[in-house]
Amino acid sequence: MVLADLGQRINNAVSSLTKNNVIDEKALDDMLKEICVALLESDVNVRLVSQLRNKIKTKVNLKEGAGHSKKRLIQKVVFDELCDLVDCHAEPYKPKKGRSNVIMFVGLQGAGKTTSCTKLAAYYKRKGFKTGLVCADTFRAGAFDQLKQNAIKANIPYYGLYTEPDPVKVAREGVDMFKREKFDIIIVDTSGRHQQEKELFSEMVEIADAVKPNQTIMVLDASNGQAAESQSKAFKEASDFGSIILTKMDGHAKGGGAISAVAATNTPIVFIGTGEHVHDIEPFSPKKFVSKLLGMADFEGLAEL
Amino acid sequence: AFDFFKNIVGGKTMNRADLTIALAAMKDHLLKKNVANEAADHLCKTVEEALLGTKTSNWTSVQATVQTAMHSALRRILTPTTSVDLLYEVKNSRASRKRPYVISVVGVNGVGKSTNLSKIGFWLLQNKYRLLIAACDTFRSGAVEQLGVHVNRLQELTNRMGGGEVELFDKGYGGDAAVIAQKAVQYAESNGFDVVLIDTAGRRHNDKRLMSPLEKFTKLAQPDKIIMVGEALVGTDSVQQARNFNSALGNTRNLDFFLISKCDTVGDMVGTLVNMTYATNIPVLFVGTGQHYTDLKTMNIDWAVNLLMG
Ligand SMILES: Nc1nc2c(ncn2[C@@H]2O[C@H](COP(=O)(O)OP(=O)(O)OP(=O)(O)O)[C@@H](O)[C@H]2O)c(=O)[nH]1
Ligand SMILES: Nc1nc2c(ncn2[C@@H]2O[C@H](COP(=O)(O)OP(=O)(O)OP(=O)(O)O)[C@@H](O)[C@H]2O)c(=O)[nH]1
Ligand SMILES: [Mg+2]
Ligand SMILES: [Mg+2]
Repeated sequence: MVLADLGQRINNAVSSLTKNNVIDEKALDDMLKEICVALLESDVNVRLVSQLRNKIKTKVNLKEGAGHSKKRLIQKVVFDELCDLVDCHAEPYKPKKGRSNVIMFVGLQGAGKTTSCTKLAAYYKRKGFKTGLVCADTFRAGAFDQLKQNAIKANIPYYGLYTEPDPVKVAREGVDMFKREKFDIIIVDTSGRHQQEKELFSEMVEIADAVKPNQTIMVLDASNGQAAESQSKAFKEASDFGSIILTKMDGHAKGGGAISAVAATNTPIVFIGTGEHVHDIEPFSPKKFVSKLLGMADFEGLAEL
Repeated sequence: AFDFFKNIVGGKTMNRADLTIALAAMKDHLLKKNVANEAADHLCKTVEEALLGTKTSNWTSVQATVQTAMHSALRRILTPTTSVDLLYEVKNSRASRKRPYVISVVGVNGVGKSTNLSKIGFWLLQNKYRLLIAACDTFRSGAVEQLGVHVNRLQELTNRMGGGEVELFDKGYGGDAAVIAQKAVQYAESNGFDVVLIDTAGRRHNDKRLMSPLEKFTKLAQPDKIIMVGEALVGTDSVQQARNFNSALGNTRNLDFFLISKCDTVGDMVGTLVNMTYATNIPVLFVGTGQHYTDLKTMNIDWAVNLLMG
């Protein structure tokens, strides 16, 4: 992950502040400026960055502590505020064996939904769940072939229809079939869509009404920029997704757009995608993410403070 | 109050301090439009250099002067130094040589390469050309079938419109894209096709293993035009994407232009248009504005600058 780069810059900013003999207003401002530029270059939402700056500024009490303890205090404030960005303290959904858990995927065009569906299915399969895939994308050319080929490679049962144009119908039939066959996890893939096209959003709501998902997951591309926040808010309102999968974390981008989406929707990231292959998926924990982001021993143990 | 008045009336010589305040607000504005920090800094610096020491005109504030200057700076960055009339070039090349005109798309994963290649196909078919669409993404599941569906749909539309013809060239999955592309061009030449459109697999621009085959691809397929597809949704990474793809083509070849897709999904946050041209000086020729064949527009600089400044 290239996140280390962002982490390094933030860390350098903090260390150069704490190396100063006198930590005054100006030194603090310089550090904050550094951190803000680093965050902006990682696509964190402009407004969030300025909020974060103000929060850190009010929380750091320059009169408090001295030397080493002062350094720890400042580090802690920065760490906490960064954690707050990606951690919404919401408990993600946990599927249970022996009943059907319907999981519906939603997201923007090309985010990585279809790929992540199979990744997640294979992940749960490894954990012993009986898992099936439903292709409710009847719009994109080759969508069913894509899901089907992935499913076959991963040896996961799948459902889809070449000739049915109505995604609501395919979704309902697929989910019903897997429910009858007592599958534990039924994952429903849907077409890419965006808030500007109202009919696409209503279609998403109709599919959800038909399959009554226990969990809706929004798939977000880590390279998304400033538009990620408003799109995610719109998806949240229309689909009430309960968790996020952040894809393409193997890329060069630092996921700042997605971090802003988390903050804006108060929804946790549960998995990250780290490649094009079926096993390129990892569970996500915000604290670990930020520690990794800051990537160094200096910050170790802060999570437990 | 007097200062304010003086400011509005104009004739004020702009010093660094005045400009710094106005430009900080301008930079914030650009960042919100998804212009990358690096590109925004560059633009602000250009404006600062242009304005420093000059006088504001009558009835104009520093802020308004900065806005006008930013307008022109954006315009300048987005205006191509050479004009590209793709249809004209295709026509010319058909008249002068036997080899078909070859266009290929490249870009990172999921940006809209295959879809927008098909849109370009639709546009060429409307102009009655005979097209071969080559499925050179031999990696991603369903990539070949995806193009197959597009070719069928395009042929159906073409039949209704009258004129034009389109065929799929594919060698299934797992093969070497460069070799398949070369074969497609040969096949097109011996069968009298006018244009070959080559689709390629999405690839991460920070992975050498994925990027280095592009040089061989360029050598074997000899595309007349290599279009990099970038998406309006992408943030700061767009700068590096453009640079890395451009340099991956080798020392003797550059990208010819960008197609920025998904412009319909970002409202006025169209900073990607600026970021990719800023990074490479390569112009944006097309913008994608939806998922249908007609959702391809030639880049309109007024439209882009108005969105960015609005
Ligand atoms: N490098 C990398 N590529 C990924 C990752 N996840 C998905 N991709 C690639 O991104 C592209 C788009 O993925 P899809 O799964 O087709 O995206 P989608 O959201 O289903 O797209 P639509 O259905 O068209 O909206 C494909 O080329 C995938 O191989 C990831 O974590 N890393
Ligand atoms: N809204 C919108 N969606 C678009 C546009 N262009 C492409 N898409 C959608 O983006 C998704 C991905 O498009 P593809 O053409 O498969 O992208 P790709 O770059 O070929 O993807 P890979 O081959 O997997 O790397 C599809 O759902 C397209 O319908 C556009 O201009 N606007
Ligand atoms: Mg899909
Ligand atoms: Mg493609």
